Amino acid sequence: MRRGGRVLAGMAVAAMGAVGAAQTSRSVWDGVFTAEQAKRGGEISERECVTCHGSTLSGGEEAPALEGGTFLSNWTGLTVGVLFDRIRTSMPQDDPARLTRQQDADVLAYILSLNRFPAAKSELPAQSEVLKQIKIDAAK
Amino acid sequence: MQLNRIAIGLACAVSSVFAQPGTEWPTYGGDLANSKYRPLDQIDAGNFSQMEIAWRFKTDNIGNRPEFKLEGTPLMVKGVVYATAGSRRAAIALDAATGELLWVHGEREGDRGAAAPRQLSGRGLAYWTDGKEERILYVTPGYRLMALDAKTGMPVLTFGKGGAVDLKLDDDQTVQPDLTTGEIGFQGAPVVAKDTVIIGAAFREGMTPKSMRNNKGYVRGFDVRTGKRLWIFHTIPLKNEVGYDTWENGSAEYTGNTGVWTQISVDEQLGLVYLPVESPTGDYYGGHRPGANLFGESLVCVDLKTGQRKWYFQLVHHPLWDMDISSAPLLADITVNGRAIKAVAQPTKQGFLYVFDRVTGKPVWPIEEKKVERGTVPGEWYSPTQPIPTKPPAYARNGISLDDLIDFTPELHDQAVTQIARYKIGPVFTPPVESKEDGPIATLTLGTASGGTNWPGGSYDPETHTVYVYACNSCATPISLLPAPPEVSDMRYVSGTAGRPVRMMAGPGENAGADSPLPTRTAGGRGGRGAATDGGGATATASGGTAAAATADGAATSAAPANSAPGAGAGRGGRGSGATVGGGTSVQGLPIVKPPYSTISAIKLDSGEIRWQIPAGETPDNIRNHPALQGLSIPGTGQSGYNIGTLVTKTLVIAGDGQVTTTDQHPRGAMLRAYDKENGKEVGAVWMPAPQSGSPMTYLWQGRQYIVVAVSGGAYSGEYIAYRLPENR
Repeated sequence: MRRGGRVLAGMAVAAMGAVGAAQTSRSVWDGVFTAEQAKRGGEISERECVTCHGSTLSGGEEAPALEGGTFLSNWTGLTVGVLFDRIRTSMPQDDPARLTRQQDADVLAYILSLNRFPAAKSELPAQSEVLKQIKIDAAK
Repeated sequence: MQLNRIAIGLACAVSSVFAQPGTEWPTYGGDLANSKYRPLDQIDAGNFSQMEIAWRFKTDNIGNRPEFKLEGTPLMVKGVVYATAGSRRAAIALDAATGELLWVHGEREGDRGAAAPRQLSGRGLAYWTDGKEERILYVTPGYRLMALDAKTGMPVLTFGKGGAVDLKLDDDQTVQPDLTTGEIGFQGAPVVAKDTVIIGAAFREGMTPKSMRNNKGYVRGFDVRTGKRLWIFHTIPLKNEVGYDTWENGSAEYTGNTGVWTQISVDEQLGLVYLPVESPTGDYYGGHRPGANLFGESLVCVDLKTGQRKWYFQLVHHPLWDMDISSAPLLADITVNGRAIKAVAQPTKQGFLYVFDRVTGKPVWPIEEKKVERGTVPGEWYSPTQPIPTKPPAYARNGISLDDLIDFTPELHDQAVTQIARYKIGPVFTPPVESKEDGPIATLTLGTASGGTNWPGGSYDPETHTVYVYACNSCATPISLLPAPPEVSDMRYVSGTAGRPVRMMAGPGENAGADSPLPTRTAGGRGGRGAATDGGGATATASGGTAAAATADGAATSAAPANSAPGAGAGRGGRGSGATVGGGTSVQGLPIVKPPYSTISAIKLDSGEIRWQIPAGETPDNIRNHPALQGLSIPGTGQSGYNIGTLVTKTLVIAGDGQVTTTDQHPRGAMLRAYDKENGKEVGAVWMPAPQSGSPMTYLWQGRQYIVVAVSGGAYSGEYIAYRLPENR
């Protein structure tokens, strides 16, 4: 019995690992947004984000930095989808319903560009489920 | 009702067990000296890493949305842990052994709560007993002082009006513009000493004040039994009071702020209270308040019974750097050159530890007035000198020179030198500049808004006469000013950066508390604000623990998912002002200054010497893995961040990491670390799921030592975690 239990547990872990890998097969290093989208996001950020996070999103009075080491510390190892959901449901702080899904995705593209992740040919989508397949890694 | 009775029964059963003296944590700072010290020794260097989680308490449902900025330090008295928690800032009581929720009390304050300058869960509460009755006191976001029965969480109806004192009233000023929206609040923990509750005041962040006029942050003492005001101390003197003449052109009449938003310390034996006073209106521009501006950024000692001023020392004349006094004064009985001194040691953002005789206010070592640079911002008033302690030496980097810039490689250093050329750099007290696109774009120095030691403060070990204090060495805040557009402010200058529009900067938790509008996107529209009226309180029992949230605001809303919440998240890393300038303070994603990015220092108060200093926390992932640093041997850098607090026990200094890392030794997470207090050597660590966001505390209960710490930040919402050693070691 005991041995069987261990085998089963091992299988479960292996299965979860495989699913996890499949779900996050891409990373922010794979070019997940376009330069044009990041530019749009930058314009939105200038209106909506800088009042708390600072004019270049390097941190407000107590709002965390959205670029550099602090940002990477908070989000490395998680997915773009988790970050998207956080923005989507809570930001901007004074009226979390103000931005559309597309605008949130654009802002996110801008944040990724600020953190020097590469732009490419396809835009960052605006669906959490899809974004949860893109992992945030500090290093390539 | 039935549930109420069950909860009360539980609490009473727990409380009846006798607690050993000295093993509890009855005030925010452990004691009224704010030592954050307990002589407990069950958890030590040999077993710290074996600790396991005894219990955890997630705060998501204490309010109508999760919070990502849990800064509280709980209390523990007679087997009950008390804390503030959640976006509602409710008071909670937990079983000290199991974390079981015994009661929760939240206040729905409607528009008043939504307009509060300091929302979210706050930093803690106070406990009082006369041996029979036990009370818990805390301040709501809407600035009302609540007194609760510690056994049940029910308001004490004989206190104030129905258990609450409206702190916007009886304040020797008429709070403007009205009681609902008038800007004044408090997110700290009240202090109770000898039956007197002492309460300070806090405001919005001061980078872009709406006006040179604001409400004033007076400090008051209240009778803990009745809520009656006993005394008031005018942090901005009234006409005919000492210090009024340090506000030229009658500016004391209209200038505001100058509150005490951080923790207050008390020597009950001497009957003296130590008030660390913050900046006056306008963090970086003081042209509308010419003069030294007493008691702005002053340590003021007042009488516990009367509030009468005994002595004061202004740490910064005419404040222009948002230095505040950001943390609790540490009361320390020391021996200097054979002479016993009842001292008070004040850690600061500027990295100086100012040490005074706490009876007389006389500096223990000379503090010299040194000439400082005069700035050039039109209309500004400059103090020609500032006080600089001769001892101890600065324990944090408090200025920036070219020698301070990153030097891992010559290329990185050259890039930093090029980038920083746009800034005015210099030592502590380098004045702010008017921002120019062709330079200087800003003043860049350290020891200002988020440098050195912030609200968590330091610890003091009465056995070794040593202060242990965390400091950020890399939290550089660019400071720059622009003329204020009339639609933003009536001030001549506010924070702003050339080439960018001046914007009103928001502060921590503004519009993010449980009384603020909820995100209602899934319901197809924006949420309405709660219809609750001021003072609508709710006490829930263990089983109904979330009633305060569940029955909250009237409009149809849908709660945010677990990974979401308004709130700024726990701020880490150097915060920039509204005037933060494009990429200027990082070089290829690395801090522009060299490590250590933060330190913990041990400062022996008998000699005024730094005994040891270590980098605080794991080297961040983006440093360890940075492509430009591969092949280099990088020593431990510590982590940038300004909200780490320390705990001292019989043998250890304990502090958690402020950033998440992933290493070969541990999965993604942050570590709670123990250091040998004799030499700073790390002797143990346990894993936390998120960074430390509130200072740790410890207690002994039923023979077992616990360490409780608040964690939150990024995607991780607030949680209190209690650690202890395994039963069968």
